[in-house]
Formats: sequence, C-alpha cells, structure tokens
Amino acid sequence: MLRRIGAVMLRHFYETRRNLDRLTDAIYWPAIDVVMWVFLTGYLRQGNRLHPGVTNVLLGGLILWGVFRSFQRDLAVGFLTEIWSRNVINLFGSPLTVTEYMVGLAAGNFVKAFIGLICAMLIARIGWSGGFLDRLPSLLPFALILVLFALALGVAVTGLIFRYTTRVQTFAYGLAGLLMPVSCVFYPLAALPAWLQPAALALPTTHVFEGMRQALAGGGVSGRSLSWGFGLAVCYFVVAVAWFKAVYNSARRRGHLVRLD
Amino acid sequence: MPGNPAVEVDCVTKAFGNRNAVCGVSLNVARGEILGLAGPNGAGKSTLLHMLLGLITPDDGTIRIFGRRFPGDRQAILAKANIASPYASLPPRLTVQENLLVYALIYAVPRPRAKIASLLELMGMSAQRDTVVSRLSSGQQVRVNLCKALLNDPELLVLDEPTAYLDPAIAERVREAVIGRRQAGAAVIYASHNIAELESMCGRVAVMGRGRIAAIGTPQDVTRHILGQQHGAARLTEAVAAFARGNG
Repeated sequence: MLRRIGAVMLRHFYETRRNLDRLTDAIYWPAIDVVMWVFLTGYLRQGNRLHPGVTNVLLGGLILWGVFRSFQRDLAVGFLTEIWSRNVINLFGSPLTVTEYMVGLAAGNFVKAFIGLICAMLIARIGWSGGFLDRLPSLLPFALILVLFALALGVAVTGLIFRYTTRVQTFAYGLAGLLMPVSCVFYPLAALPAWLQPAALALPTTHVFEGMRQALAGGGVSGRSLSWGFGLAVCYFVVAVAWFKAVYNSARRRGHLVRLD
Repeated sequence: MPGNPAVEVDCVTKAFGNRNAVCGVSLNVARGEILGLAGPNGAGKSTLLHMLLGLITPDDGTIRIFGRRFPGDRQAILAKANIASPYASLPPRLTVQENLLVYALIYAVPRPRAKIASLLELMGMSAQRDTVVSRLSSGQQVRVNLCKALLNDPELLVLDEPTAYLDPAIAERVREAVIGRRQAGAAVIYASHNIAELESMCGRVAVMGRGRIAAIGTPQDVTRHILGQQHGAARLTEAVAAFARGNG
C-alpha cells in the first residue's frame, strides 16, 4: 500500500518538476501575493493610516488563504492531469486503489503546499518587521484545519469530475474563490450582512480566520474557534469521502471511468 | 483448450442508457492461450475488455479471473493482469523511464531498472529512455504502453489494438513478445482489426457484433460458422469482413 502511495507521489513529483504551471501555482503566485501585500501594508502603516494589528491580520489571512486555495486546487487539478494525459485506465486498471491514489495525491500536495507556505513566510520575514511573525507558530493548528477542509473540497471536486467528467473542471480552480467572500478572510464575521452570517458560520474557514485574528491580536489561540473549525472540517471531510465513494462506484457502473474526457 | 481457465465470463450484460453494449456474453480463456477478439467498431469489444479489469461494472452475469471476482479480489486480480489500450496513454511530461518506474512501483516489480531496460530493448526503445513521452511518435508511444503492459510479467494480458500505428518490423516484435507471454503460461486476450494477425497468433477467435458473440472457436470454425456453405477456401479476414458488413 505504502509503495503504491509512494508511486503516486513520485508520478506527481516528476510532473511538477517539468510543469511550469504547477511550479508557478505552488511558489510563484503565493510569493507574488505576499510581496504585493508586504508593500501595501507597509505603505498603509506609514503615517498611521492603518493600525499595525490590522496589517498583521491582512498578511496572516493572505498566507493562510494561499495554503487553503492552493491545496484545494492542486488536489483536483492533480486528478484532472490524469484525465488530460489519458492515464486513468492505466492507473485504475492496476492494483492501485482509488483511496491509495487520493492519499498519494494529497500527501504530495501537502509537501508542495508546505513549501509554498515556507516561501511565503520567508518573504514576509524579509519584508516585514512587525511582531506578526513571532505569532506564526500559533497559526499552525489553523493551517492544519484549512488543509483538512481543502482536502474535503478537493475530494468532493474530484467526485464531481468522476460524476460529470471534465465538463465541471472549472470547479477545480474556482471553488475556493467561491467560498472566499463568506470565509471572512480579511474582515470579521460582523462585517457580513446578518442574513449571510449563518452560512459563514457553517464553514470551517470562517472559524479559522476569526481565530487567527484573535491570535494575531494577542488574544491567544481560541479553543472555541479551533473546535468549531476542526469539527466542521471533519464533518465536511466525512461527507466528501462518502460522496466520492458513491460517485466512483457510479462512474464504474456508467462506464465514465474509461471515458472521463 | 490447454490448462485451467484464467478468465471465465458467464452471461455478462452491460447497457449504457438504452444502448446494449454487451449482451449475455460468455467465454473462457485458458492459461497459455491467446483468444482473439474481432468485430466492427461499437461491437462491445472494449467494453468487455474494460469489464475484465473491473473498470466497468457489469449489469448482470459474472466474471472470474483466476477464480476470483471483482470487487472483493480486485487487487489480487490486477496485480497479475495488465492492459494496453488505445484509450490509455502515459503522462506526456514524464520520460519513458520515469513513467515505467512509477508503474514498476505500482506493480511491485523486482529489480525495476533492469526489467525496464530489457523491455525497452525488446521494443527497440532503449534510445528513447530519457525522452519525455510527448516528444515520441504515435508508434513509439504505443510501444511504451506495451512496455508498461509487460512490466509485471502479467498472467492475464489484455491488449486492445496493440499493433496499431506500428511499423511491420516492430509489430512483429510485439507479436513475438505476446507469444512469449503465452508460452510462459499467461492468458492473453487480443482485440484487433488486423484479422490476419489474429488468425496467425490465436488458437481461438471470438467475433462480436452488436454486443453479442456471433462466433467463437478456431479461425477455421469461425470462418465456417460465419460464411456457412460459401466457406470454400475463404480466410477469417473475409469472414469477419462479411460479418461486419451485416452488423456494422
């Protein structure tokens, strides 16, 4: 089992090494985002245009959201790559199980997202002297919740592709963006209209970013935000896996597995 | 029929919507046998082959491979089987060697680099070992796919149009490799539109049309069955062509 998971990781490592799109998605764009925001928040701090605490929150939100977005997108795009290269029959006509495939894909993307996170943090450290970076370790549990939720979304989107083929591949790129306005990445929950707040609270991302703001403001890590974020992420993950299993079996019945493109 | 059945297909049916792709197909393939599969496009050959590897679930009927069934014994079955199909390619950004190393890991091939080197030599692809697949010609890509299909010395080898795009010399090498697997005791299912190839290689041939097996047996039996009284000195090629005209 571990050998086959390793094979999937190796396959995507080779792909990433030669695919400029994958490299730019993993490192270049997150790095550019952070550079832009370092300059912007630096400017806003001059002349007390913006409180330093607010700029910390903006930068923290940007870095954590980058981890979430790239992990979700890369998981679904990783599977799309198999369809685009017509490799699905070879993969699933082998002893590799779909669970092993997804674990291998997720593990490879975890490494990639971690490298992207380290790059973003290094750039922030070079360009930013605020106390923000000292508090970064306290954000690690929040980052892990985001990774779990991104995994759930990536699994769900891959399930959608099994069910509706590449017609729905736009979700691989766009789903995280759809959730961003209600995830309260850069503003508090209270900034949303009252009617939208229940929807926001149903997302683990909202609890993560609320907790992140509290931690960066020096209020400590909120156990309540962590619990809600983690609990919801687990729920979404369980639902996504159940949905994925159902649509995978349905794809084999409908013959979609051999005609996903 | 030599040896015990490696493949047992019993009354298998598959429909997609209201189109019957495979209807009540039954056949056996023994170890050490090459079964040829012929028939016009849309006859259900590929659907049947995909069902043999668990890629498509039959609506009805049973499939046993080495006495085992999907989905419970999927991994045990597929560890001993392999496929080369025109519907499948290998990732284009990986080199030939990288692709084969990935599949060697998946199939737990011992001494993978030596095995890959010998297969590339067999297929005349040693010089392309470090070339990315996207830079290979269609024929070279087919040969890499065949290397992948032979990587685990499969006891069940499923080949769908394996010599399409190949020049005659390489096609001959492929046929020799397939015959080599048969001699090693593997069961081979060989779908092709090249009927002369099937006639020369296969002990038995099944001709499919509209999801059903119209005839199965030795090439002579099948020719006689399809052409009936007009059989004379006709070859299987003429019989399959005549069948396709009536069932395309």
